[in-house]
Amino acid sequence: MNIDEFMQQVSSFKGVSNVSKIRNNTVKLDLSKEDSLAFFISLESDFEHCSLISAIDNQPDFELVYHFSCMNQSIVVDDSDCAVMLEAHVYLKRDSPSIDSISNIWFGANWHEREAFDLMGIYFIGHPDLRRVLLPEGFAGHPLRKDYVYEIHEEEW
Amino acid sequence: MSSKKVRGNPSLRRGVGSKTTDSEKIMEDPPAGDWLALRSDQLLEWIDNSVYNVAESTGMREVVDRITRPIFNFAQRLSPHPLHFGIMCCAIEMGQASAPDHDIDRLGLVYRSSPRQCDILIVNGPVCEKLRPKLKTLYEQMPEPKWVIAMGECAISGGPYWDSYSVVAGADTFMPVDVYIPGCPVRPEALMHGFLTLQKKIRAKEPGMFLRR
Repeated sequence: MNIDEFMQQVSSFKGVSNVSKIRNNTVKLDLSKEDSLAFFISLESDFEHCSLISAIDNQPDFELVYHFSCMNQSIVVDDSDCAVMLEAHVYLKRDSPSIDSISNIWFGANWHEREAFDLMGIYFIGHPDLRRVLLPEGFAGHPLRKDYVYEIHEEEW
Repeated sequence: MSSKKVRGNPSLRRGVGSKTTDSEKIMEDPPAGDWLALRSDQLLEWIDNSVYNVAESTGMREVVDRITRPIFNFAQRLSPHPLHFGIMCCAIEMGQASAPDHDIDRLGLVYRSSPRQCDILIVNGPVCEKLRPKLKTLYEQMPEPKWVIAMGECAISGGPYWDSYSVVAGADTFMPVDVYIPGCPVRPEALMHGFLTLQKKIRAKEPGMFLRR
């Protein structure tokens, strides 16, 4: 499949908007939180690698950025053999920072989601083992949030 | 029919400590290691009685101590074994110090990978909250006498991470530190100087006494 055909196909999905090509081989799209799991399940056959899940605190809302790579040449770029990447942005409200977990689809997403939970406090629904991964157990708060106050932490520890 | 038959197979209930008949008494196990072997606490008690107390009461301990102290101190000072434990970039400099340019083996330093065989713990990097109990465990696993070197700014005071949410502000907040080596990262020459300072400290404190309590 060509990357342009893939963009056409993807933009018809429910919940997908703003499909654009930010680089020669990278498709960027915005995704609504409710339809994210169905979209990610449809991606599984092409994109076999979940490269990255990063969380951003945009004050007041959160943004999750998923990066997926397609390295099996099922989606190709013309005149090139480079791997196609997909960049999906999901915006989350601050009072409900939760999204469906994809760690049952891509097992490598397990620790990415644990890290996002640990440092930013994003709750992944359906994650098999949502514990802290970098900070010790019993740590108070999520320190990469912009409203994290260090003095509270000092009293706790 | 005797009462032995009623009790069942004697081999099945051997060593439980229950009452036995005369014929079974021969087969009973002794309490573990009580008279077959010398237990470790019995050995220590024997050493106390026959060696330490005798040497103390006759004054031989002082005499032997005077003789052996410089030798023990010399051996301890010139063959310290640091723990081969690297946290962050100062560990690269620690490896560089062992390389042929700054051959630190000539000071008698041999890196060992087990804390049971080590004298010196080098804290060479920021200690985060998750690492702190493990580092404390490593320190407690080392046999006495033991020394700690805080290598680099991170281990001294937290360094650039001094107000971080997860980095401990200095290794001396939770363990005794003998030598501080400033630098970010520490040069191999500075590490060598730190080891020489520690050797001076060992010579001044004179550990390695005979039958030390």
